[in-house]
Amino acid sequence: MFKQIVFTITFLVFTICSDHIYAQKKYESESRLKEKYVPSTALDFINALTVERKVKWYLEEGLYRKSIEAKFTMNNRKHSIEFDTLGNLEDIEIRIKWGELNRTLRDSIGFYLGQDCAKYKIKRIQIQYSGDPSILLPKIKTGESTEYYTTRYEIVVKCRSKNDVNLSEYLFSDSGQKITVSQIVFKNSSHLEY
Amino acid sequence: MALCLSLSCSCIVVAQSTFQFGALPSINLNYKLRNNWSANLKIESRQLLQSGTFKGVIEKDYDYVLTDYALIMAKKIGLNARLSGGYLFRHREGQVIHRLIQQYTITQRLPSLRLTHRVVTDQTFSANDDTEYRLRYRLATEVPFNGQSADPKEFYFKINNEYLNSLQSAAYDLEIRLVPLLGYAATEKQKLEFGMDYRVNSFLDENARHSFWICLNWFIDM
Repeated sequence: MFKQIVFTITFLVFTICSDHIYAQKKYESESRLKEKYVPSTALDFINALTVERKVKWYLEEGLYRKSIEAKFTMNNRKHSIEFDTLGNLEDIEIRIKWGELNRTLRDSIGFYLGQDCAKYKIKRIQIQYSGDPSILLPKIKTGESTEYYTTRYEIVVKCRSKNDVNLSEYLFSDSGQKITVSQIVFKNSSHLEY
Repeated sequence: MALCLSLSCSCIVVAQSTFQFGALPSINLNYKLRNNWSANLKIESRQLLQSGTFKGVIEKDYDYVLTDYALIMAKKIGLNARLSGGYLFRHREGQVIHRLIQQYTITQRLPSLRLTHRVVTDQTFSANDDTEYRLRYRLATEVPFNGQSADPKEFYFKINNEYLNSLQSAAYDLEIRLVPLLGYAATEKQKLEFGMDYRVNSFLDENARHSFWICLNWFIDM
């Protein structure tokens, strides 16, 4: 009897938690932000990178939080640097190609995607760095750093399951373990269709 | 778009071209169902305020023209694509008109705007006329005043350009529509649009007929 209760509770907790993981929705509204409204800490970080191309600033509003994002191209790669509303660095994302990931990482990511989707297509891959700004600054400028920072991979995937097709954003660790997955919510377009 | 504008301009100079001017308010209810299905109910009424020829007599009498009731069932078949089918019931001067509609839409999400391509085939039946078959293509875009898409309490600009090929009793006609609209996203689920629906037809082999309808569209997502 006790075993049955434990099993039932475990099953329910597992079901609720896993449902919660897969029911996560990612909704972001992005609007341009004038440079004069960007916190000085964030501006200082970007200025220290000495970006030659134009830097575009955005205010991102998600379901539960706001952030400030700088987007620009440097060394022929698209960069996206996210700060909180006070200007503290959150992470740095750089667009890369699937072929640039090592074989082990590709296999691991492919394994998880294959589990979730009957068929999938990778739409965008970004390598994501987070850590102390003083460590990440030389990393971004020179590509090298001897000190510790966190590396993750953010991957946007078109995922087709048995009854649905959606766009999902996955976050993988540097060893290819799945950390989070959230379904990207699109704005309604009925006023464009009818 | 360029073709449309050049045709419109060249047609306007023809003295015998006729025109209609009026109002075209509509309510559009979109209801999300299970398994990627959705239902769309549209009620649209047409009211004539002026008509005549550009360089001739102009009538300024108010005239109720028609009301359309359309129900379309749509199934999401791709990430941004939908296949739909529906039925339109038109009540016009005591006459009842039926229309069957088949529709495919796909929306492209570009960095600063959304583009929706719509291909429609429809068949119109009435007691007094032969069946009319139409093949339509419409390109619609929404350009938000700020950011990538219109958020609540924000304005946006929307423009539709549609080409309608019609075949009835072996007679072919082409109608071109250009609809610029100013939109306001009142909430996440309600949008209001105001603008002009310009239509030109019959310009291929006779005097062009121009229609100018003031639009007031109310979109509600449920």
